[in-house]
Amino acid sequence: MRLTLFPRDIDGLYRLAPFATGALAALLSVTPIAVPGLAIATPAFALMVVYHWTIYRPDLLPPSGVFAIGLFVDLLDGTPYLGLSSLVLLVARSLVLRQRPLVANRDFAVVWAGFLVVAAIVTALEWAVTSILNEAPLGSRPFLFQAIVTAACFPVASYLLAWTQRALLRRV
Amino acid sequence: MLRERANIISVTNAQARLAARRLAVPFLIVLSLLLIVLGKADAVLFERIRVEAADRIAPVLAVLSQPAAAVSAGARHIRGLLDLYDENQRLREDNDRLLEWQEVGRRLAAENAALRALTGFQAKGATFSIAAQVIANSGGAFARNVLVDVGARDGVARGQAGVTGEGLVGRVTEVGERTARLLLLTDLNSRIPVVLESSRLRAVMAGDNSDQPRLLYLPADASITPGERIVTGGADGVFPPDLPVGVVASIDGDVVRVEPYAEPARLDYVRILDLGLSAFLPQSAVPPPRTTKGTKAADAH
Repeated sequence: MRLTLFPRDIDGLYRLAPFATGALAALLSVTPIAVPGLAIATPAFALMVVYHWTIYRPDLLPPSGVFAIGLFVDLLDGTPYLGLSSLVLLVARSLVLRQRPLVANRDFAVVWAGFLVVAAIVTALEWAVTSILNEAPLGSRPFLFQAIVTAACFPVASYLLAWTQRALLRRV
Repeated sequence: MLRERANIISVTNAQARLAARRLAVPFLIVLSLLLIVLGKADAVLFERIRVEAADRIAPVLAVLSQPAAAVSAGARHIRGLLDLYDENQRLREDNDRLLEWQEVGRRLAAENAALRALTGFQAKGATFSIAAQVIANSGGAFARNVLVDVGARDGVARGQAGVTGEGLVGRVTEVGERTARLLLLTDLNSRIPVVLESSRLRAVMAGDNSDQPRLLYLPADASITPGERIVTGGADGVFPPDLPVGVVASIDGDVVRVEPYAEPARLDYVRILDLGLSAFLPQSAVPPPRTTKGTKAADAH
């Protein structure tokens, strides 16, 4: 009878896949890769992960998971603003949940366009909060760069996440 | 009766769960904001949390940075192959120039030795340097720093300078037991006293998260030309004087920008210099390494 329990346990583990990809994205964002072109700004990998799962499997990446991923990102990044990424990712999740009917089951171009909108709003929010904390408006160029690099990297991340989803979560 | 009560309980349970789910996002958003505000109010506590987290995660990052280093090396190799001819040409020219410099250097060294003997000069306290591997690199829009795999146990202390063969990259701001964080020159919070090499004008080089930091507090009538070398001031007693920093890249009205010699995005290894001056800096939030604990453990074995 033990054997019948086994697949279900594995399924339970698979349900952690979205959170695991989030943690991996956080690690990836600080991994020192000197690929020419990626040097200007690190893409916000965690944002891509949150976007993907919120569209396709919001049940598997609850707000608490998003919050934890954000904290992990900030701790790794060594930013003086612990909690900022959590805030930004939670806002992104809420935004995506609202526009989900517009992008789910549509062409990839639509999904990508949705991501562009979310990335733009979220980057603007990040800029605003950081500016307030620094008590002076910050140069917008680094933020602009990051938003562009993030949007450009999204198709690759989306492909990998969809692959993960098909491989691990077909039954869950 | 019992069943009815059970039903009521399960209904209220479901309602409670629904309410909890609805409140989760606002609650977590408020929690995030609270963390941000607390982080600004109690920077010391949050620094300790960051250092502790970095120390814990360091082994994972060290493993991850290995394949990353291989990828970087591969990319560099391919670029190297493409540029082989130009590179060779450049190296020949460099070689000719350096041979001339070698001659000059020998003559100066001899002269220096003679003058030192004449004046009874004593060299300042020896600097030592620690080689460190970069295990994490934050290139986000609001943080430019690197995490290296050496910490307090290796003799790293707050305020020490991080350099590469090209020049200064940043200074140590957080020290854990086995990791340390270097704030890069380009970070928003980086302020480095520098000197313009030929005019000897003093300035403060301030990062703004772009690739080219700005020069602040220059005299209004200062004449600066693009391409002028910037070196560390040394008067602050934090950095060794005359470490190469970069060159003046552009002058646009009041805004003078510096192109650092060392490219932070391509850092694999850094050397951390100690002048023995870190004692003059404000004490770190992180307690000094507990050497007594280590020796006790060693005694026990």
